[in-house]
Formats: sequence, C-alpha cells, structure tokens
Amino acid sequence: MSAGVEQLSARIDAPVARRLARLRRFDRTGLIITIGTLALAIVWAFPLYWAVITTFKHEYETVKPGLRLWPEQFTFENYAQVLVHTKIGIWYVNSIITSTAVTVLVIIMAAGAGYAISQLEFPGRRVFWWMILASFMVPIPALIVTHYIVLSQLKLINTLAGVVGPQLIAPVTVIIYKQFFDSVPKDFREAAVIDGANDWQLLFRIYLPMNWGITTALAIITFIGAWNLFLWPFLAVSSEDKMNITVGITQVHDAFGVHYARDLAVAMLAALPVALVYLMFQRRVTQAIMLSAGIKG
Amino acid sequence: MLRSRRAERLTAAALMAPFAVVYGVLFVYPTLKMVELAFTNAPLIGPGAWVGFDNFRRLTVDRLFSTAFWNTLYFVALTVAPSTLLGLVVALGVNRLKGWLQSVVLAAFFLPYILPVSCVFHMWNWMFDKDFGVLQYVLAPLNGGQHVSVFRTTPYFLPAVAFITTWWLLGFNVLLFIAGLRNISREIYEAAELDGASRWTQFWRITWPLIWPVTVLVFTIQLILQFKIFDQVYLFANFIVRYDPSMVMVEYIFKKAFQQNMGGLAAAASVVLFALIMIISVLQYQLLRARGRR
Amino acid sequence: MSAGAEAPGPAPHVELRRVSKRYGAVTVIADLSLAVEKGSFTALLGPSGCGKSTLLRMIAGLEEITTGQCFIGGLDVTETPPAKRRVAMVFQSYALYPHMTVRENIAFSLSIAGASRKVQNARALEVAHILQLEALLDRRPAELSGGQRQRVAIGRALVREPEVFLFDEPLSNLDAKLRVQMRVELAKLHAALKTTMIYVTHDQIEAMTLADRIVVLDRGNIAQVGSPLELYNHPANKFVAAFIGSPGMNFFEVKLDRIEAGAAQVVAPGGGVARARLRAGAADGQLELGVRPEHLAILPFERADAPLKGKIAIVERLGNATLVHVDTPAGLLVVEAKGDVAAAPGAEVGLALDEAQTHLFGADGAAL
Repeated sequence: MSAGVEQLSARIDAPVARRLARLRRFDRTGLIITIGTLALAIVWAFPLYWAVITTFKHEYETVKPGLRLWPEQFTFENYAQVLVHTKIGIWYVNSIITSTAVTVLVIIMAAGAGYAISQLEFPGRRVFWWMILASFMVPIPALIVTHYIVLSQLKLINTLAGVVGPQLIAPVTVIIYKQFFDSVPKDFREAAVIDGANDWQLLFRIYLPMNWGITTALAIITFIGAWNLFLWPFLAVSSEDKMNITVGITQVHDAFGVHYARDLAVAMLAALPVALVYLMFQRRVTQAIMLSAGIKG
Repeated sequence: MLRSRRAERLTAAALMAPFAVVYGVLFVYPTLKMVELAFTNAPLIGPGAWVGFDNFRRLTVDRLFSTAFWNTLYFVALTVAPSTLLGLVVALGVNRLKGWLQSVVLAAFFLPYILPVSCVFHMWNWMFDKDFGVLQYVLAPLNGGQHVSVFRTTPYFLPAVAFITTWWLLGFNVLLFIAGLRNISREIYEAAELDGASRWTQFWRITWPLIWPVTVLVFTIQLILQFKIFDQVYLFANFIVRYDPSMVMVEYIFKKAFQQNMGGLAAAASVVLFALIMIISVLQYQLLRARGRR
Repeated sequence: MSAGAEAPGPAPHVELRRVSKRYGAVTVIADLSLAVEKGSFTALLGPSGCGKSTLLRMIAGLEEITTGQCFIGGLDVTETPPAKRRVAMVFQSYALYPHMTVRENIAFSLSIAGASRKVQNARALEVAHILQLEALLDRRPAELSGGQRQRVAIGRALVREPEVFLFDEPLSNLDAKLRVQMRVELAKLHAALKTTMIYVTHDQIEAMTLADRIVVLDRGNIAQVGSPLELYNHPANKFVAAFIGSPGMNFFEVKLDRIEAGAAQVVAPGGGVARARLRAGAADGQLELGVRPEHLAILPFERADAPLKGKIAIVERLGNATLVHVDTPAGLLVVEAKGDVAAAPGAEVGLALDEAQTHLFGADGAAL
C-alpha cells in the first residue's frame, strides 16, 4: 500500500469512526428509552392490577394500612357475594342480548347499505350518502333528549329494544363497508356478471366473503362498544331488571354503601367479557380501530 | 354494464330499506326535532309553545351554562393536548420493541380503553379513596400529611377526572400513532443516520413532519370526544352535594332535560354543542389540508 | 370510417354494425363495423387508448353501445345482458375469486345457475383435465403461479361452453418466457376447440403468431383488417406499416422523380436515386418511403449506385441476426442482417433497398 493510499484511508476512517461511536451512544439512549417505556407500561397497568388483586382480598384486608401487592389471604368471597346479592345474572343477560342484537343488526344493515351505495345505482343514492356523512358529525350525546322523546312516543322506554334503538346509528360502519366494497376490483364483478350472478349472489358470494376480515373486526368492535355503553342505557332504563351490566354496577354502589372489594369485584365482572374478547381478537380490534379512525381523518 | 334497471332498483330498495327506516326514525327526525325543540319551551315529554331565540338568550345569561361551557373547555385543555403528545411519546417507545414484548406492552396501554366507563370509575374511585386508597400514599405527603378527598375538593375534581380519562384513552392514541409510525419507511431513517443526524434531529425533522397528519387526526378525535364528555364526570360527581361547579356541557343538557324537565332549554344547549363540534370538525379538515399542501 | 372490405362468405359469427361509443362529450369509437367469422381467431391490435378493449367489452355486454348494433350468431344482442350472450371472457388480471378454490372458481358459473354439486365437480374435472390443472383443484389462487392462474381463468371460461371466447390482454401480466409458452398453449387450445376467439392485445407479435385475422385499431378507427402476412407485406397505411413488425419499418421522405409502370423513381435525401413499388396509378406531393430492416443491405461505401450512404452508429448482435443502426441523411435507419456481420461503429457504408419490398405512403398516410 502506498503512502498516499494509507493517508486516504486514514482520512476516511476518522469520520466513520466518529459515526460508529455515535451509533454506540445511540444504543445507550435507546436503552434508556426502552426502559422508560417498560416502566411507564408497568405504571399504566398498575391500576388494573391493583383493582383485580383487591377483589381477591377479604374486606378487612383492603382497609388495613400498608401496601400489599398480593393478598395475605386469597379469597373468592367477594365474587360469591356479588353473584348472590346483586342482579348481576340478569344484567349479564341484558348486556348479552342488547350487545348481540346491536352487533347483528348493525352489521347486516351496514353491509347491505354499504353494498347498495357502492355498487348499485338508484334514485336518492347521493342523498343517502350525504346523510350518512352528515350523521357522522352530529354528536350522539346531543341527541339524547330527542331520542328519549322519540322512544317514549314509541313506548320503548325501559325496554331492551329501546336500549338497542339509538345504537343502530353507526355511520362509520357503513362508510367502512362502502369503502371496502369500492375497493373490490371491477374485474371480479364483471367476471361474476358474465357468469350470470345477480346482485344478491354478488353480495353474499363475492363481496362479503372477500371482506370477511373486516366484517369480523367491525362486529367485534361494535360488540365491545355496545357492551360498554353507559349514557344511553342509563337514561333509557329505570328498573334494575332491565339494566345492562355497565349501568348495573353503578347501582350496586348506591344501594349497598361502601364495600370496596365487592364493588370492585362486580366492576371486574362487567369488564371481563370485553377484556377477554380483546385479548382473544387483539389483531382484529386494532385493525377495526385504525379503520374507524381512518374514516375520521 | 348492461343491467336491468328495475331489478337493480328493487335490490337496492330491499338493501337500503331497513337502514333508511332506522336512520329516518333515529337520526333525521331526532336531529330536526332537536333543532325545533330548541325554539320552544317544551318540557321533556309533551308539546310546548314557540319562543323563538328565547332559550338561547337564557343560555347566555345562565351562570350554570357558562360554568358548564368553561368547565368543558378546561377539561378539554387538560386532556386533549397532553394525551395526544403522550400518545406520540409512548408510541415512539413501543414502536422500538419487537415481538411478544411489544404485544404485551401495547396491551398494557390499550386494555384500559376496552374497559367500560363504570368499571374505570370503580377502579379509580378505589385508588383515590380518601381513607384507604393507595394513591393517598402519594397525595398525603403533598398535602402536609393529610389525606385528600380528591373528588369532593372542587379544584381537584376536574384535573383528577382528566387524569383518569387520559389513563383510560391513551391506548387509542398510541395505536393510531404506531400505525402512522409504521408507515414511515425505515430507509428514510437509515439515510438520515448515514447523513449523521442525531436522534433528536431525526425526530424533529423527519418523524414530526411525517406524523403530522396523524397528530392532527388524534388531536381532533380527542377534541371532539372530550367535548362530549359525560360519563366519568357524572359518576365521580355523585359524591358531591353541590356538583354544579364541576359540571360539563352534556351534564348540563342531562340535568335540564331529565332532572328539571326543561326540554326546550336542553335542546338549545344541544344545538350549541353540536355547532361547536361542527366548527371544530371543519377546522380540522382545513388544518389537515393546509399542512398537507406544505 | 371503417376500412377493410369483407369478401362475401358465410354469415359472420360476431358482427358489430356501425357502432359508436361515447362517454359524455368524448367519442371513443365512431361508426365502426366489424365482422368475425365463426371458428376464427381474430386479434384486435393497437396501442393503448385505441379502443380495442372497449370494443371487446361492447361485444361482451360490459359496455353499453351508444349507437349501432351487435350480433352474435345472427341474433341482435345489443340490449341483451352479458350473462345471456353466450360469451366467456378471460380478463387481464384473471379476476380469480381469492376466497374460492380452483375447483370452485371454475365451477362458479354452474353454481350460479343452480347445477348440482355432482355436475359442478364433474365439469370442473373435465376442464381441469384439458388444461392440466387436476393437481391444483383444491388450491387457492394465491398459491398458484401466474401461468397457472391464467389457465384457471381460461378454465372458468371454458366450462361455460360459450359461443365466443373473449380475451382481454391475457398474457400481459406474465414474464417474457411464460408468455411465449402460453402463446403456444392458446394456439393449441384454439386448434382443439375451434371456437370463435376474439383476442385483444397491444403486442403485435402475439397477434401475428396467434391470429387468423388481425384488426388493427387506431384511435377508435379500423386501420386495416387482414391476415398477419397481408398486414406485414401489404400495409394499407403508414400506421399499420409502423405498428407491425419488429424491429419496425424504416421511414424517410423522398421526392418523386418520375412514374413508371408499377414503380416510381424517387430521390432519397442525400441525392441517391431509388425505385420504389407503386401500386396506385399516381402519386403526388410529399411522399414517404417505407422499407423493413431485413430488406436493407449494407454495401461498401464506394458503390456509386447505393441510394443511401451513411455512418454506422450502433451494432446490436443478437446471435441469429445483427441490427446495424446507420446514420444517414434520411435519418437513423436500422438494417437487419442474418447471422453475424462484420460491421464496426464509425464505419462508412452504403445501403441498398430491395425494391420489390418498398412501400410508398402519401401525405395522408395511405399506401400508394
């Protein structure tokens, strides 16, 4: 190697060495960031952990001073109390009925309407589409008063059907279906039409099956949303028998005074189904959330 | 494409009919009725007389309404910007993780979002409990050793609820930001590294501008969401004897309609809320478009 | 304006009579008439935007015919929906239903029509056998290669036993080698089935190798209709002459010197004199002479009678032929020589034309 080449390689090495040093420093910052994130995640998960762990403690232990991250005595008595002393069974049933009804009805209507708006030509198509986009902007809490009025006119206050009603307005679901149906390449439709398919066959044998993933995602997220809803079921129902579970657990609090572990137990029972659904279908839930947010953007 | 017009219309009618009925009864009619009601003095159920803009005039002088209005704005200020920024920060951190660790950490942030509001209420009610809540270990030293009754102390009420709301909803923001971050090609960062950009420069000159549309999106979704806040505030406020000072707008509507039987006035407040949200939505659209053109 | 007169013969199987297609204010096809014989393989050839796909889709019923009529098998199908026209189409993107197996894809039209599971399976098996797809019947399209997917698309069309097969650029998504293979398969298929096939493509090699008759389209009009060799040897206008043949025909302006019987004496740029074939009786105005690369030859530069002289710019050696690009006063001309040829860039050469293989075009592009 000639002296000139050595000089040259030395001149090149210096900045590269500096960069390598910085990259090594990078990793240190990176490590701090990662640790910070993990620490924050633990902090974030703590309240849920704390609540769950409290439900497995005896009442007397919950009020003892001092921080116990694990029960001294593990017990199921709180849950037993809940099952015996509250109407949780009925509330669960009500929640299941209303949430399932909302999910099924919303999906069927949204898929049908989405398909019609996307693929068919009919008078008033534009009008419907604008109406759906508009309903997106109107905040549902602003409509609670008139919803109440309408449903009482229909004599549906304090019924499960009344709880279901306003939840059927799901513009985002229709919009998502329409966009997905729009994105099915025209070739498929033409090929099926040449093969003799009519619109019903197109919808059920081509369009829906090709979009099965989002149907599942939308169904799950609709179910979770319906299960968790508080304001409207709270307004629409006054007798305990007709309450769904999210409303019911607030009534426990009022009726029985302060029993920390038991109140938490009933709250945990309310959240358990949707938490399980989420943990089982994580991917679909996140997919659905991103879709609906995409619509709003 | 050649197709039978009649058959198409019939199919469309069959597919749209249930939807149209539901929408007519539960959206179009209620919206129109709400606007109409705002101009009457009707009670919750039953007819009323036309009073023109009287309801709106009453709103402007009603101290409770202005309290609710400003409280809502206060609450929005406490939650929207902080939770958006925190969401971005957390997303940046979570995005660096891989595999199952990332899934677990993401679940830790996102699981709260799945919980029903009343469950969240119980959880944090317990955490903040004046006598036995675990947070008193943190709060008491800051209060001269005395336990703090957070929800009964007016100045602490909304900030505490805002804090809880952030805990509850952060996962949603994190998710959206992660999706946005994933859309930024790795190669851009690699090119920047080769050009010698520091981590901070990379964030400020690459990540921030490219993630801006998501930032605006998250910000406005949160903004619209928090304007409509009701559930948590109502639930936590049930302790307080006089919860008027901490009232927010939807609570105002709720109280006027369902507790004071003043349907017209409640409808007027609803219209105001609706208008506010509309304005924000339009601003969002403009903001996104303007920045995008840069 | 339609070109290509049809000799009287058996009634055409597919016929378009004076059809036009308008999208709002834009006219894509105006007053076009076309007749396709039964059992023939007809190619609709042209560059993008010439309207060939539109024509095909009008025959299929996927596009409405603005004015004019379409006949299939003697019946007026202008208003008939696609499913009833007894046509089958192979799409450029194949349009295979991703959520169905190959068997279900092929049998789809049968299941729409309500045929029993047994019948569906039997027919799918038959078709799969013809196309050698038996092993793939239970796979999904995503698991198949491009060539396999193409065969499934053909199978889906086959199973309907249509009167007319329509192909919309079916080979354009395949890589070059596969394309050559599939061309052969399609030719064999046509020979076996003898069904009328109408084939849209922008690739003139596909058209030349597969078709009995080629319809060349230029911006919504028929430029020429004829057999591949007719179009190659006797192009009716400059458009067809330039489009068919690869490498393309050379063109340069010439000045008319005098007319003899069946030929014209012309002066090429640079002063050289040549004789060009003239079929029309007269020629006037600006003329262009067209000559294919294989009808040019390289001469030593010293030859005084060479109509053109120039300098070699680039030599492309293909092994079985050599393409020599020569810079002349008439422009850059391509000469195709068989085998390998001693030619070096920068060398000065003369060019000779095969006079019997020259074409003269008038100012309007028509062949003279």
